[in-house]
Amino acid sequence: MADVKTPAELEVAAEAARAALGRALRGLGAFHIDACVKCGLCGESCHIWRADPVPANLPGAKAAVVVRHFRRHHTVVGRLAPFLVGARALTPAAFDELVDAVYGRCTGCGRCGLNCSVGADIAALIRAGRIAAAAAGRVPPNIQVVVDNQLQTGNQMAVTAEELKQTSSWIAEDLKIELGAADVTIPVDEPGRRVLYLINPREVKFFPLSLMAAAGLFHAAGESWTLSSRFFDVTNYGLFAGDDAAAARITLQAMEEAARLGVAEVILSECGHGFRSFRWEGPNWLGRPYDLPIRSVLELLWEYIASGRVKVDPAKNAERVTLHDPCNLVRWGGVSEPQRRILRACCADFVEMTPNREQNFCCGGGGGMLSTSEYGERRIASGQTKAEQIRATGAKIVATPCHNCADQLLELNKKYKLGVEIMSVGELAYNALVK
Amino acid sequence: MYATLRIIAAAALAWAAALLLAQLLRAWAGGRKDYAQAAGSGGRGIVYNLTAAMSPAHKEAARNHPLGFGAGVILHAGVAVAVLEWLALIARPFAYPRILAITLTVVLALALAGSLFLLGNRILRSRMRALSSFDDYFSPAMTFAFLALAAAYAFGKITPPPFLVYGAVFFFYLPLGKLKHVLFCPVSRIDLGRRLGRRGTFPPAR
Repeated sequence: MADVKTPAELEVAAEAARAALGRALRGLGAFHIDACVKCGLCGESCHIWRADPVPANLPGAKAAVVVRHFRRHHTVVGRLAPFLVGARALTPAAFDELVDAVYGRCTGCGRCGLNCSVGADIAALIRAGRIAAAAAGRVPPNIQVVVDNQLQTGNQMAVTAEELKQTSSWIAEDLKIELGAADVTIPVDEPGRRVLYLINPREVKFFPLSLMAAAGLFHAAGESWTLSSRFFDVTNYGLFAGDDAAAARITLQAMEEAARLGVAEVILSECGHGFRSFRWEGPNWLGRPYDLPIRSVLELLWEYIASGRVKVDPAKNAERVTLHDPCNLVRWGGVSEPQRRILRACCADFVEMTPNREQNFCCGGGGGMLSTSEYGERRIASGQTKAEQIRATGAKIVATPCHNCADQLLELNKKYKLGVEIMSVGELAYNALVK
Repeated sequence: MYATLRIIAAAALAWAAALLLAQLLRAWAGGRKDYAQAAGSGGRGIVYNLTAAMSPAHKEAARNHPLGFGAGVILHAGVAVAVLEWLALIARPFAYPRILAITLTVVLALALAGSLFLLGNRILRSRMRALSSFDDYFSPAMTFAFLALAAAYAFGKITPPPFLVYGAVFFFYLPLGKLKHVLFCPVSRIDLGRRLGRRGTFPPAR
């Protein structure tokens, strides 16, 4: 989005933000605004507040930064008696604080909402603040550039079709050797297959082992699948930016690609926010249900193992393994058990961290925070709770079905000297594969 | 005069109900249809979020802050008693039997203690002050006074008019400030419970 500089342009942007905030919070969001009693008990639920317990990091305070603007512009009491309810105008000068609160002090993990005294969905209020900021062109540049990449090139890292094909080709060659099977392929743009597999572009650029593991397991299961070289990206930074229009376009291009290839099902690689975006938010961004079912690869992998299509030997993963639950996959996505069943089947010594599942702590890398270098120190500090959880398990391997979480955990591993290895669930399952 | 006060009190009650209903309908009308195919049950999610999710076993905020949680429970129990007392007064003034008067007074006195604890917490702690607007002090103060008058009336220390009139003021203010959480707290729990129930997060798997 173009830089906004003149006072008149700033005012136009602020007006766009005010209107967007009204649209975002009118309706169900309004329930949550009026439920919050500002009891202040939400602090301990937030990994950012636990690392730095200043008032600005209280989830209720972050939500209040958003709510006060909504009240000022969209409620009768806020217009007539703003002092009464702490309502404040969303002027151009107010944006710095808004942006800091909603992008720099919250990952939208939603743990505070589950533990809120009154049950207010604080993360929804924070995202409404992001929607307002996005309408004013105030998305942090490093998140915006990812959205722009997705819209312009079809994937967040601007990976070309040629790059994808080349990477797929050498991974397939490696798999042939590893599996001792000459017929291993990584199909790209093959119409009529049963499954379209969407991956994180990082799997092409930096984490080919994730794609290799999935391809190996698909081969072992005899799955009929394909990648797409046009739209293969499981991520959707429209969710983090607060840009629902962009999020809808990103969703649409993948679903149209699935229809073009004539697949029966879309399977999503291990990605927290990608799963939430495609599985749960996507139909609502598009305003219609999908024509195809969408599942996480974890659900499919467990189906293979449970049905005996893929045979695994837990002795092949002898070291202690623990699991980090990505917030968008587990709390916001409802997928908590398949990954546990897979790890129990594939690892000799699987231990839970505490708390876990829907009560897990965010690692600190969610909500787009991983991309925002301006909040880097805060992000690493906020991972302290996660680091302590990991250390308490005594695990040597931390499995996590999310590349954003994996990146953050890699940094936490260094910073807090955890001495662990970070792996995807699929990589551990592939390790355990009886070839 | 008493008849006039009853009408004023009933009018305040009607005002509160009408405004809350209007706000609820406005919020509901803006609600979005969920097009994603459900993986779980919205109904089960709602039931969970209105019951077990609120217990200390499931809610960290309650578990980690037993004093605050306890004060909140007692305060809300006292408010419920005070409201019932006030509603009964609109219908007909009567003297409570001694045992009932003592019981009500004890409950209301505990609620007053809870109210004081929470209000004191808000005034004395910097993190709470930073979070609070005028209404965050005003609404609890109004509630404290309402509880005090209810206790005084139950124990026969005041006549009906002051309690009746103050209750009308209390209900007139209720839909304007944070007191309206009386409605929006359960509605929020229903909304989030339904959403996370459909996604299969609620009730938790463990």
